Amino acid sequence: MFLLDAALVARREVARGMFVLSLDAPQIANSVRAGQFVNLGWSPGPLLRRPFSVYRTDGDRIEVILKAVGAGTSQLLAMTARDTISCLGPLGHGFELSPGPRSVALVSGGLGVAPMPLAAREARAAGISVTWVHGARSVDELCSEADGDEVIWATDDGSRGFAGTAVSAVPETDMVLACGPNRMLAAVAMRWPDAQVAVETYMGCGTGVCLGCAVPLARGGYDRACKEGPVYRAADVEWSMLPAHLAYAVSA
Amino acid sequence: MSVEIGGLTLRGPVLAASGTFGYGTEVPLLERRALGAMVSKGIFLRPRAGAPPPRIIETPSGMLNAIGLQGPGVEGLIRDYAPQWAQWDFPVLVNINGETAAEYGELAARLDGVPGVAGFEINISCPNVEQGGLYFGNDPRAAAAVTEAVRKRTDRPVWVKLTPMVTDIGVIARACEAAGADALSAINTFVGMSIDLNTRQPRLSFRTGGLSGPAIRPLAVHLAHQAARAVSIPVIGIGGITGADDALEFLVAGCAAVQVGTATFVKPRAIAEVHDGIAAYLASHGFASLAELPRYLPRD
Repeated sequence: MFLLDAALVARREVARGMFVLSLDAPQIANSVRAGQFVNLGWSPGPLLRRPFSVYRTDGDRIEVILKAVGAGTSQLLAMTARDTISCLGPLGHGFELSPGPRSVALVSGGLGVAPMPLAAREARAAGISVTWVHGARSVDELCSEADGDEVIWATDDGSRGFAGTAVSAVPETDMVLACGPNRMLAAVAMRWPDAQVAVETYMGCGTGVCLGCAVPLARGGYDRACKEGPVYRAADVEWSMLPAHLAYAVSA
Repeated sequence: MSVEIGGLTLRGPVLAASGTFGYGTEVPLLERRALGAMVSKGIFLRPRAGAPPPRIIETPSGMLNAIGLQGPGVEGLIRDYAPQWAQWDFPVLVNINGETAAEYGELAARLDGVPGVAGFEINISCPNVEQGGLYFGNDPRAAAAVTEAVRKRTDRPVWVKLTPMVTDIGVIARACEAAGADALSAINTFVGMSIDLNTRQPRLSFRTGGLSGPAIRPLAVHLAHQAARAVSIPVIGIGGITGADDALEFLVAGCAAVQVGTATFVKPRAIAEVHDGIAAYLASHGFASLAELPRYLPRD
């Protein structure tokens, strides 16, 4: 775990209103695993830090992906090159991608694309072939950077690829990784209990102290999205108790 | 910078507030060199699962939380954490909670003499089940009864953490002092509520939560000051401290020490920053020690 003042290096738009920020954060870039996140703080900004999955790394840089969903994310998107953002990370317990399975489906809805580029990289390094199934409401909301050995697009309105949800477009594979709205992940859990899913919660500290990011477990009780999570075996989460309305990436 | 607080000599006046430092074992980044003492996450006799999500909501300059006192219970604390605390170079006080005065007493008796447990901070912001769910902290007799129940079972320092949700904090402060408290922590969070306009429901699953952060600081400075005026035991100021200037306000207003809470979530090194900033202020203003800092504390 590192605490760095990272310079904002670059920004690009990858779907309508969806941006990737690139930050100079060497120690985090060199140690982060797929599914882990960073807790970002900036000034002037909200009181609490905000959690973001690490989207990609590029040398000493980490990338995060976001939309303007509230005051805080709007502030982040208004920043310019060389502005400083405090990065705490890498945090949490990421995806398990050991050699063994022959194929994996990465299933992402909207901003749930966030942890998938790193997952794809680690899967390939483990000799696992990657099918990326990426869904959004319409073609202009699809992240243009989705890639894999095979890419399947899904849109609710049928404007590109499969007409319907990403979940319903997933082909037969040895394992499934998913990230997206909690409603989507609940559907994943019904179909693939052993899928690894990255969940969304409100978060306080990001380091396991405040117990604010409680994830209800199917066996009863709670644990912490920031420490034991954010990646869970899909059937281990008590989905009916997680707020379904949270969009991926907590609004600021 | 060392201070005497209710039976303990602390190496500095900046303490970690209950619930914001966990059990002190979670975060390698948290700086301990400047830590005067740590108050543990609140503990009950038995393990508690805590409240359903959402448990945390940000509000303007503040944070509303309803964690529901999730914890391992006293036996889990003794097994998993106290042995580590016994090795540390600063004292750890256990924040204790109960639904009856007797439960507080039992907790103190069980923890008394356990290596690593230097003392107690009584959380009186708990519902008193025996008296119909009213809070111990709102009633001077109930607050005194809890303090006395703990006092009778331990010789270790006993601090009482006061709730701000009262008409006259001085009355509660004096009741706790008379019942044997060695120091007072002032204050706990304010009870607040936030509504989601999409669902038209409370945003926290528990409906209400405790408000902390800079939003409450002036209220907290005033209440800590009122408590300090009312008693002769030390008062530890708490409420929205994020920098040294904030802490100095509490110290000048009559507090002997301070606790830093929510700020630690944002800045893992907040306690060290506050500690160093106080030292710099004292030096630049020509005070040789914290004891020399003039206090604004007119007596009632």
